Amino acid sequence: MDNCEVPSKKVIEFKPPVYEQRYYFVKNLVNRHGLRKIADLGFGDATLLWMLKYHRCVQYLVGVDVAARPFEWGGGRLSPGVGGYIVPRELDLTITLYRGSAVQKDSRLCGFDLITCIELIEHLDSEDLAKFPEVVFGYFSPGMVVISTPNSEFNPLFPASTFRDPDHRFEWNRTQFQTWALDVAKLYNYSVEFTGVGDPPAGAEHVGYCTQIGVFQKNIAKATESSISEPEEHVPEEHIYEVVYTTSYPSLQQSKYFRLTLSSESVKAIGLMKSRFLRGLRKREGDRVVPLGSCTPQFGLTEAQRAEIDQSPKPYSVGEKFYVPLERLIIYPKVNHLVAGSMEKLRTILAEGLRLNGDQSAVQVELVDYQTQRLFDEHLISPVLES
Amino acid sequence: MREEAQLVATLQATSVKERNRFGGIFRDHVVDTRQYLDHVRESTAGTQGRPVKLFTNHFRVTSRPQQVTYKYNIDYMPDIEDGKVRTELLLQHKALIGKCHIFDGSSLLLPQKLLSPKMELVSLLKKQVVKVTIEFTSELTPTSPDCLRYYNILFRRILKMMELEQVGRNYYNKREATEFSDHNLVIWPGYVTSILEYETSITLCADVNHKLVRMQTAYDLISALCDGFPAKQDLQEQVSKQLVGSIVSTVFNNKTYRVDDINWEETPRTTFKTSDGAEITFVEYYKTRYDQVVTELNQPLLISKGKWKKSQRDTPQEPVLLVPQLCHLTGLTDDLRRNYRVMRDLALHMRLDPEKRQHELQKLMNAIQTNKEVQQELQLWDLKFDASFLSFSGRILKEVRIFQGRRVFDSHPQFADWSKETRSGPLLNVKSLDHWLILYPTGNYRAASFFLQSLRRVTPTMGISMREAKILEVSDTVQSYTTALENHVSSKTQMVVCVLSSEKKDLYDSIKQYLCVSCPIPSQCVIARTLDKLQTLMTIATKLAQQMNCKMGGALWKVDTGLQNTMFIGIDCFHDIVHRRKSIAGFVSSINQELTQWFSQCLFQESGQELVNGLKACLEAALKLWCKHNLFLPQAIIVYRDGVGDGQLQALLDHEVPQIESSLKSVYPKDSGVKLTFIVVKKRINTRFFVESEGRLRNPLPGTVIDVEVTKRQWYDFFIVSQSVKDGTVTPTHYNVIHDTVRFTPDRIQCLTYRLCHMYYNLPAGEQTMRFVSCNSPFEVY
Repeated sequence: MDNCEVPSKKVIEFKPPVYEQRYYFVKNLVNRHGLRKIADLGFGDATLLWMLKYHRCVQYLVGVDVAARPFEWGGGRLSPGVGGYIVPRELDLTITLYRGSAVQKDSRLCGFDLITCIELIEHLDSEDLAKFPEVVFGYFSPGMVVISTPNSEFNPLFPASTFRDPDHRFEWNRTQFQTWALDVAKLYNYSVEFTGVGDPPAGAEHVGYCTQIGVFQKNIAKATESSISEPEEHVPEEHIYEVVYTTSYPSLQQSKYFRLTLSSESVKAIGLMKSRFLRGLRKREGDRVVPLGSCTPQFGLTEAQRAEIDQSPKPYSVGEKFYVPLERLIIYPKVNHLVAGSMEKLRTILAEGLRLNGDQSAVQVELVDYQTQRLFDEHLISPVLES
Repeated sequence: MREEAQLVATLQATSVKERNRFGGIFRDHVVDTRQYLDHVRESTAGTQGRPVKLFTNHFRVTSRPQQVTYKYNIDYMPDIEDGKVRTELLLQHKALIGKCHIFDGSSLLLPQKLLSPKMELVSLLKKQVVKVTIEFTSELTPTSPDCLRYYNILFRRILKMMELEQVGRNYYNKREATEFSDHNLVIWPGYVTSILEYETSITLCADVNHKLVRMQTAYDLISALCDGFPAKQDLQEQVSKQLVGSIVSTVFNNKTYRVDDINWEETPRTTFKTSDGAEITFVEYYKTRYDQVVTELNQPLLISKGKWKKSQRDTPQEPVLLVPQLCHLTGLTDDLRRNYRVMRDLALHMRLDPEKRQHELQKLMNAIQTNKEVQQELQLWDLKFDASFLSFSGRILKEVRIFQGRRVFDSHPQFADWSKETRSGPLLNVKSLDHWLILYPTGNYRAASFFLQSLRRVTPTMGISMREAKILEVSDTVQSYTTALENHVSSKTQMVVCVLSSEKKDLYDSIKQYLCVSCPIPSQCVIARTLDKLQTLMTIATKLAQQMNCKMGGALWKVDTGLQNTMFIGIDCFHDIVHRRKSIAGFVSSINQELTQWFSQCLFQESGQELVNGLKACLEAALKLWCKHNLFLPQAIIVYRDGVGDGQLQALLDHEVPQIESSLKSVYPKDSGVKLTFIVVKKRINTRFFVESEGRLRNPLPGTVIDVEVTKRQWYDFFIVSQSVKDGTVTPTHYNVIHDTVRFTPDRIQCLTYRLCHMYYNLPAGEQTMRFVSCNSPFEVY
C-alpha cells in the first residue's frame, strides 16, 4: 500500500526491506497454520497475493482494492503461466480480484481462514474506520485477521517528521493501536496478539517495531451474543464488488491434469527402463524377450527403492512393443505418490492416455522411439541371446 | 525484488525486446520503395491470367479513431529496465492519465491532451522514489503508421484479457491443449496477429500457431543420460551436446533462458548472494520464495548468459545459474525431429487445412466480439473489426513450360508436380557415370546392392549411361570412411556415394567436409533405411540419380524465362543461433542462358549482422565467370534477396543496392546501360490465401498471384502461391521489388518469378551451398 521508509541521507536500512518483512510475516503465518482461503484487503500491486500463490496449502486467494482495474491484471504474475500447466499444483487454486472497499459488505468475502489488511487502516478516514470492524470482523468474520499499521513511536527515527505517506489519515502509537484492537476483538469475540516487523536500531529499542501488527483469532468455543458471525451459508448473497480478474490453476485434483502428470511420470520411468533393457543382456522366452539383468535405473532412487523394484515383475518385449508390468511401475516413487499406492487407480488412469496390454497388467509402448533410436544408431544395443 | 536483482541482465534484454517487438515490421512498412519506380506509378497490379475469387486470413478494421491522438514520451529517473515495472510506475498516476491509454514501455498514447506538455511526477517503487517525466512529443493523425503500432499493443492486451498465455511473440490457449502421452508432449493452439495498413484498408491479420510443450525437465534429461553414460567424461559431453543451445523455461515464474553451459562444479546446495547481501543456497531460495522443493541435491547447474541480442553482442552479461529440476525443456530436439512417428503425429495435428484454419480463426473473432471486457476496451478506442475473411480477386497464371531434352511439357497446375513426366524421358543435360565409388558400412551390403540394381533400371530412360561402380565396405566410423576415400579416390573420380547406417550428423558432416574441402568431389549420402523399402525404391533411385546428375554438372530441365543475357543472383542469410557465431550469406549466380548452371559463393558476417558487406567481391567473381562462359557481360542482373529480417528494408535500400550498383559501375564500361532489379523475398509470412469451391475453403492453385488488397501502396510487391501441399495450407511467398531499372511490368516480373520457381533442384556447385532463393520449391529432388 505505501512506503514506510522515506529515502534521505539518514535512511534506516532494513534487511530485508520492511515491506518484504510484512509479506514474509503473512507468508509464514499461512504456512504455519496451513491456511486455505485467504483474502487481502487493499492488495495494491498484488505482491502479497503473488507470494502466497506458491503455497501448497492455499486454495482460494482473493484480493480487494478500491483502485483495482481490470486491465492491468490481464493475467500478469498471478496467472498460472506455462509452468502451471506443465507441473500442476497438488490442490486447486482460484485467484479472484475485486474492485471494492474494505468498508463495503460483499458475501463473497465471508468464510475465509484469513483476511489481511496490510498497511490499510491508516488510509481510512474516521467514518470508514468506524465501519471497518463491523464489515471485516462482524460480517466477513474470518478465522483470523492480520492488521498492520505504522507505529508512530518509530517515526522520530526517520528524518522526515510528518506521516510516512501523504495519504495516511493517522499514524498510531502502540497504545492507540492496541486499545482500538482490543476493543474490536472484544466486540466481535476475537482474541488478539501484538507483534511487529522492522526492528528498531540498537539503543532505540523502546520505540518498538517500525510496523505494528495485530493478529486476531476468532474465539470459536465461546461464541457470545456480541458476535454476529454466522455459518457462511446463512449469509444472504450480496455482491457489491466488481470482479476485475479471475483465474483457476490446473491441479492434480482435475482429472485432465492428473492424467497428464501421471502418464508423463510413467513415460519417463518407462523410458529409463527401456534404455536399460535395450543396453543390457536379454534372452528369448517363447515370444517374449526378457532382461537378464536388472532394468532399474541407478539414478534418482534410493537403495531401498531399487531393491524393491528389483523384486517386482520385470519388463519384457514382444516384437516391436515394450511392456512394463504395472506392479513394477507403481513402485516408482513419483508414480506411487500420485496414485497413493492404488493399483486400480494407476490402471484406470493410464488406460485413458496410454495403451495397456490384453489383461491390463502392463503398459505397452513402442520399443523404438525418438529417444531409444539413438541407441540403435550408435550400436549400443546388446544382442538377444537365443535360449 | 531479490530475484530480479539476480536476473537483472536477462530482464534487461527482455524488456528492451518487449518495447521494440513490433518495431521492425513498422519500420519496413513506412519505407516507400515505390516512389523511385516511376514505371509502376499508375499501378502495381498485373492483368494476365485467369481471375479467381480469393479469401485471406485478414479481417478489415471497419472503425478506428478518427481524431488526432497525442503521444507522450515517458522517462524514468533512475532508469527502470523492466517493462512491467515501468507500466506499474506510470499507472500510479492513472487518475491523471485517464482510463483510455496505450503504453508501449517508453511512450504513451492518449486520446486527449494532458493539462501540461511536460510533467514531472513521483512514483514509488517499493522504498525507492522514481521520478517519472511525461513529455508531449507529437500529435498523431489517425492515418499515422505510429498509431497502428499502438493498436497492436492494444490488441496484445486484448489477447491477454482473453486469458491467452503469452509465450514469446504469440498467444496460446492452454485450455485447449492436446496431449501426446506416448511422447510426453503437449500442443497448445495459439494465434499470431498483426494490425497493419495495406493497399486500401487497415486489416487485422490473424493466423493459427502451435506451441509444443515438452513434459520433461532438464533434470529428467540429465538423469536419463546419467543412466546411459556412467563415465563422467562421456556424461558431461553428452549433457552439453543435448542441452547447450536449447531454450529452457523455469516453471515457477515462466521466464525462458538459453542454456550456454553446464556448471558441474556446483550443485543446488551452492550458496549465492542475494541483493541484500545474505548468503543462501539455491535449495533454500526456491523453497522460501516459490515453495519449490529441489529434491535432487547432486544435479549440476545450468548457466545462461542472458538473451542473445544483435545490438548487445559486445556487452558482457551477468550469467544466471539455474537448477535443472526446475527448468522445462522447450522446442523440438534433433531426436524428436528425426523420429518419423512423432513427427507424423505432430504434423497431423498442427497442419491445418484451410477449413480448419478458418474455423479456428473464426473462433478467435467470435470470442473477441462476445467478450464484454474486450468490447469495452475496444470501444474506448472505437476499434471494430470485420467478422469474416477479407475477399478479393486474384489471378492464376498460365502453367509453365518445362523443357527436358527434346520434350516439352506443362507443369501440372493441380499438383505443381511434373516428376512423372521427368522420369519417363532423358534429362536436359546428361553426365555419364563412368568412374564412381560406393561406400557402405558393414552389415549394409543389401541396401547398397539394392540401390545399384535400381539405379541400373532407372538410368537408361533418363539418358544416363552408367559404368560399374567401385564398391567398398567400411566400418561405421569417420576414420574408416576417410581412409577408404584417401585410398580409392583418383583424379578421374566423378562421384562418391556414401551409404550411412543411420542419421548421424557428425559422420555426415565429416564426410561432407572431407569431400568439400580436403578432396573436392561431388558426393551423395543416403541412409540405408531409405533404401530398405522396396515399394519406394524406384522413386528414390530416380531422385538420387537426378540429384547426382545435377551435382556432376548436368541439368534436369529448364524453363524459358523470356529474357536474354540476364544474370540471376540469389542471396540468403543464415545465423548460427546456437553458437552465436558468425552469420553466413550464400550467394549463387547463373552462369549460362538456360539457367542450368550456377556458381555459388559464401560470405561470412559478424554475428547478428544481416547485411552482406562482401557483396562486391562475390558479384565481381560472378560476372567474371559469366563472361568466361558467354564471352560478354550480362545486360541485366536480377537479384532475389532472401533472409532479410524485419526492419532492414531501409538498410537494403541504403547499403546493399548501392553497393551492387557501384560494383557494376566499376566492372562495366561507362554508359553500358546495365540494368539491375532487386527483389526482396519473404517466405515466413502469416498471410494465407484460400479459394472457395463446393462450399468449402481450399488451397489456391499454384500460379495464383495476388497483387491487390493485401499488398502495400508504397511498395511494388506481390504474392505468388508456387507450391501445392497434400495436407495443411499452402504458404505463399511475398516478393517486393525495391529497385528496378529493367522496368518490368507487373505481369512480366510476376510471370518470370513464377517460372523461376520451377528451377529448383540441388545445385551443381556442390554441397552446403544454397538453393536458388526465389524458388519456393514445387519439386524437391530429395
